[in-house]
Amino acid sequence: MTDDQEHKTIPQPLVVVVVDDDESVRESLPDLLKEFGFTVLAFASAAEFLASGSAARTNCLVLDVVMPGTSGLDLQKELKSRGYKIPIIFITAQRDESIRKRVLEQGAVDILLKPFSDIALRGALSKAMGET
Amino acid sequence: MAAEPESPAEEVRQLRRCINDLVSVLALPATWTGGAPSQIVGNSLDALLNMLSLDFIYARLRASTETGFTEIVRVGSTWESEPRPDEIGVKLQPWLENESEKMPVVVRNLFGKPTITLVPFQLGMYADIGVIVAGSQRTDFPQQTERLVLNIGANQAAIGLQESGLLSAQKRVASELDQRVAQRTAELAASNEELRKEIVERESVEERLRQEETELKRIEAHKAAILDSSLDCIVAMDHEGCITEFNPAAERTFGYSRESVIGKHLAEVIVPPSLREKHRAGFARHLATGESRVLGRRIEMTALCADGREIPVEIAITRILQDGPPSFTGYLRDITERKRNEDALLETHAKLARSEERWRSVFENSAIGVALTDLNGRYIAANPLFQRMLGYTEEELGQLSFLDITVEEDRELNRALIKELLEGKRPQFQIEKQYRRKNGSTVWVRNSVSIVAGTDRVPQFLMALSEDVTERRLAEEALNETRSELAHMARVTTLSTLTASIAHEVNQPLSGIVTNASTCLRMLDANPPNVEGARETARRTIRDGNRASEVITRLRALFSKKNAAFEVFDLNEAAKEVVALSVSELQGNRVILHSDLAADLPSVLGDRVQIQQVILNLIRNGSDATRIVDDRPRELLVKTECDEGGVRLSVKDSGVGIDSEIEKKLFEAFYTTKSDGMGIGLSVSRSIVERHQGRLWAIRNEGPGATFLFSIPCSTNT
Repeated sequence: MTDDQEHKTIPQPLVVVVVDDDESVRESLPDLLKEFGFTVLAFASAAEFLASGSAARTNCLVLDVVMPGTSGLDLQKELKSRGYKIPIIFITAQRDESIRKRVLEQGAVDILLKPFSDIALRGALSKAMGET
Repeated sequence: MAAEPESPAEEVRQLRRCINDLVSVLALPATWTGGAPSQIVGNSLDALLNMLSLDFIYARLRASTETGFTEIVRVGSTWESEPRPDEIGVKLQPWLENESEKMPVVVRNLFGKPTITLVPFQLGMYADIGVIVAGSQRTDFPQQTERLVLNIGANQAAIGLQESGLLSAQKRVASELDQRVAQRTAELAASNEELRKEIVERESVEERLRQEETELKRIEAHKAAILDSSLDCIVAMDHEGCITEFNPAAERTFGYSRESVIGKHLAEVIVPPSLREKHRAGFARHLATGESRVLGRRIEMTALCADGREIPVEIAITRILQDGPPSFTGYLRDITERKRNEDALLETHAKLARSEERWRSVFENSAIGVALTDLNGRYIAANPLFQRMLGYTEEELGQLSFLDITVEEDRELNRALIKELLEGKRPQFQIEKQYRRKNGSTVWVRNSVSIVAGTDRVPQFLMALSEDVTERRLAEEALNETRSELAHMARVTTLSTLTASIAHEVNQPLSGIVTNASTCLRMLDANPPNVEGARETARRTIRDGNRASEVITRLRALFSKKNAAFEVFDLNEAAKEVVALSVSELQGNRVILHSDLAADLPSVLGDRVQIQQVILNLIRNGSDATRIVDDRPRELLVKTECDEGGVRLSVKDSGVGIDSEIEKKLFEAFYTTKSDGMGIGLSVSRSIVERHQGRLWAIRNEGPGATFLFSIPCSTNT
């Protein structure tokens, strides 16, 4: 039984945006997300993402915490200030409790520690999209 | 009545007897020479009594001068006892008064005799001398011859008495005269004596006076000699202020001869012009009121000499007490020399006192403990700081030696050093040791001990400068502890950093593996299976697995101490790895790390791992420098570029920069501004670079911060 069968059929392609400076993440994560049935866009930095104008149609944001330039947290704040209510799933290699608290306080849906299982990711995405 | 003789023979016999008696009587006066009247009369009476064998014979004599009389009686053998003359006199009284011629008379019952014939005889012309009464019981008494004898006897007696009386009168007169003369003589003698005494006294007084005069003269001469020989000037002045005495010393001092100044006004001679008015006024006031500001005290003044010089003098003026107008003596001393000496002495004293004060002040206020001990180590003196340091007072320390208050374990060394010091093997020594305070606690000190050479007045002693280094030692101990802790911590930190780094670096490929593998499975589960996709994801998985392995190897190599061999490698790749390692650490401190790595950078030959260590060190330093700043972005830039014949890597920070002071020391081993004391980096880094035939240096940025750079030759050039 695949994970897909546990979930409802996605009524429309939701756009998930991946922002991570790590190339291997940009390489592997979108494929997995596509397997989940999402439409995926990937950006190497917060600046790129913002510049792309994709924010408007982003249904969910998978965001690295530690990035050069604008960090994941900064982007979270930025989007808030710009009025976007995009649900954010943070991913990070850092096991720092304070970061976890901060991001959740600031309204993140979840924060996943690398390496994370596909199931964990799927769960976080469900939460983010409001699926039960 | 006289009886008639009986016969011629009898008559002759009677007559012979009468003549004999008369001769005897006439011879009597010879015995009376010089005798008293009573003696004369008594004598006569005795003679007559015997011659005539009378019963008694009584005489009454008138005293020469008085109205009284003397009575004498001589009695014959018929009497039993010797009667008293006055008794007889009383009894005869009636017949004595009667100067009639009726005598002799026969009386009955007189004196116990039946009958007795009394015959009175007058002595003297008018019985003025006295009367004699002869008495006899014989009836024929008195015969004529007897009467004759009695008469003559009485006459003789009378004459004798008269003569005697005369004599005695004479005698009396003579004796009176004598007496008077004697008295006179005595008086004269007495007054003579007195006179003599007076003379003696006067003589002795005169003698005394003479002696006194001699003494006085001697004293005078002595005084004059004193005056003359006195080194002090003695000047006397009368009530008019004129000089009356001017001793040789004054002559010498002031340059005048005595003769030339006697009689002149003192003020004109030796009082300086400026003081004359004051002198005159004061003198006048004294004469008027008796008050003086100068009498009886020593005062200092100036006096004028003949040559016009004014000299400082010490002067004492006394008033000479005597009758009449007062006179004054002044004792002066030229104190020029003394004043000079005094001034010099004062100055020396002042200098000494200042010096003493200074040194005392140094001793008292020294910021370091100072203690002096004798050569046995017993405390002689200790400054307040030392006392406070030890908790003992100076008195208490005086009972102790320094070894007493040094803790046990330090005594041996201390003793040895002192011994060397005393033997002259060393001039001084330093020792760090612990004292035990009075309250039992210990204090670390650093002592510098030296011998202070003695002088004739002060023997050698030891001096210890004692610095409380407790804090420093505690700090050192703490530091050492901290260091070892830190070293441990650093090791641990490095380890954890390493672990974190490894974890982080491995996480990436791991993450990739998990994601790709998951994707792979899903792709295969799709209907139809996405084989192409699965293949791709599987490939990535393997790749990531390899990466992970590589990372671990690389990381292990990076942190191992093994000297890897030189190899050809790419600096950029090496740098990237290090940057990747450091990013998380830096970003944890909000330091942004940029890299600007030149493309087409030639390879270099070297120890990849060691060069990576250098890069890591530079990045760490830059991060530390930057971490402190707040007012500007915290940025590091790692840049690689070609350098003439080699490649260069620089790490630029926007931190605190390099102080010129620090610049010199930067590459010294163990130099660090970091409080964790791990400044080994730069020094070792430089060594590594130099081993690569390169160089490592630092420059100040134009803006804030510094740039550390190293360059090493490229492989083609070595």
